[in-house]
Amino acid sequence: MSAAVMDSYEAIQALHKSLPPFSPYVPASLLPSIALILLASTFALAFYFSTLPKDTFPLRETAVASLASVLGGFGVVALFCSVGVNV
Amino acid sequence: MARRWWTLPLLLVSALAPSFSLAGLAFENTAIVRTIELGGSLVHVSTTYAVKALEPRQTTYQIALSKAERAKTSWLEAKVKGQTTPLELSEDESSTEHLLSVSLPKALAVNGTLNLVLETVQTHATHPFPEQAAQKEPQLLKYETDLFTISPYVTLVQRTKIKSMAPNVISYTTPHDVDSFVRDGSVTRSGGTITYGPYNDIQTDTYFVAKHQQSISVHYSFDYPVLEVETLRRTAEISHWGSNLNIEDKIHLHNAGPTLKGHFSRLEYQGQIYHRRQAPHILSDFTLHLPPGVTNAYFYDQNGNVSTSHLRTVPSVAKGSKATQYSVLELRPRYPVLGGWNYSYTIGFDTPLQDSVGYDVKNGIYVVGVPVMTNIPGTVVDNAEVKIILPEGATNIEFISPFPELSNGMSTHISYLDTAGRPAVTFTYKDLTYKHTGIIYVSYQVPVSAHLKKVMSVGAALFSLFAFAFMARRVDLNLHKK
Repeated sequence: MSAAVMDSYEAIQALHKSLPPFSPYVPASLLPSIALILLASTFALAFYFSTLPKDTFPLRETAVASLASVLGGFGVVALFCSVGVNV
Repeated sequence: MARRWWTLPLLLVSALAPSFSLAGLAFENTAIVRTIELGGSLVHVSTTYAVKALEPRQTTYQIALSKAERAKTSWLEAKVKGQTTPLELSEDESSTEHLLSVSLPKALAVNGTLNLVLETVQTHATHPFPEQAAQKEPQLLKYETDLFTISPYVTLVQRTKIKSMAPNVISYTTPHDVDSFVRDGSVTRSGGTITYGPYNDIQTDTYFVAKHQQSISVHYSFDYPVLEVETLRRTAEISHWGSNLNIEDKIHLHNAGPTLKGHFSRLEYQGQIYHRRQAPHILSDFTLHLPPGVTNAYFYDQNGNVSTSHLRTVPSVAKGSKATQYSVLELRPRYPVLGGWNYSYTIGFDTPLQDSVGYDVKNGIYVVGVPVMTNIPGTVVDNAEVKIILPEGATNIEFISPFPELSNGMSTHISYLDTAGRPAVTFTYKDLTYKHTGIIYVSYQVPVSAHLKKVMSVGAALFSLFAFAFMARRVDLNLHKK
């Protein structure tokens, strides 16, 4: 290998060694519990959605549906990671 | 015009003189010792050049390798004897040989001496002879090489030592026509070591090579299976949500020893194990050293899971620090792999992402280090493909390989919960050995919005369900009495 490529390899090797290690937004050990809590609340909110009255301006329904979808999104991703399919 | 009649013919003759460059006068080899350690699929050659400079301020020394030898060599390193830092090499090819120019650490004055060591690993250099062997016959291999070590400079004395691991060498060729260089015997053998030399006052120019260079071969017994990994496909998948690096190897293993003559007798095989006299060319199990902190290891082949494996894990160490211990995975293939047989399998394992990825907060750059391969002891990998799958939405991707690759490229890999697909970097290599277990570094950036892309796509799917329910509640499907 030429000197220039060797130098840049050694430079990136030193950089890799000196950088702080990766830390996830959510620690991996907490993921199963988070999945359980979020999916349970998604289920509860979906049930609550089904009991809401049918208004002409569906403010409450949209709010509940959006909250349930967001919590469900996080919950499904946490579920996938906790069973071993690291997405 | 020329005064003497022989001026023009002399000019023509000198133009046809052997084409070693003027560099041929800059050094003199006081001694060359070439040590060849014979193995199965790998042969380790270490050549020591004791060099004396004849001209001042020399900074480059040239090492010559014949074309055949360079074709067999898959790893080269030159260094000063006793030191560990490798010297810079640049390669040149002429019509007859390969020249390696080694940059000396400091310029040599006239009559300055230096000991240089060129270490190489040769692959596919041995072949089984006889090509077929029955189940309980020994494994015999043959290795061929050139008798004289070529060099652009004059060599005062050179010798070649060929060492076999087992002491029984079946036969070796005796060189012919070397009496002009030899003072004592031209070849001697002691146990498993055969010494060709010492040969004095050699100048390996084209005339010499044509007249005296000859091929020598050693027929020896080898006590371990000769293994070749025909194809290795390694996939490294990085998950930021799961904080996990998954490495999966799909391996096609081939036993390149003598092919089995007759049929495989399970009774004889079990008998050999019981009496602990296993034939050398049968592979029954092997051990891999995996990184510390390995979890969720799996080993399966086309039939399904292979349960004959044992994993001993070791707690993980911080990123970049040297691991003192490795996780040990002992694998036993589903069937013993005899000469000429193949076995294909997949192994994989997870390692925590913090052991491999570093994060630069200021620039938002992640740097990941993925090893090229996990070495199976004593094997050569014919073709390897390493694919590193980065998280979805990774941008500014830069990569570097520890040694030159055959090709590299980017592609898109689609996996679970992906919308646009994940960028993947692929490297292909050829003829890898235990010296090629370096680390590939890839740097990339992932914005926070790309991290949330998966969550939002699942959320959008759930919201569409809610929207459907919203519509369905307002549709009246009851049957009314008219």
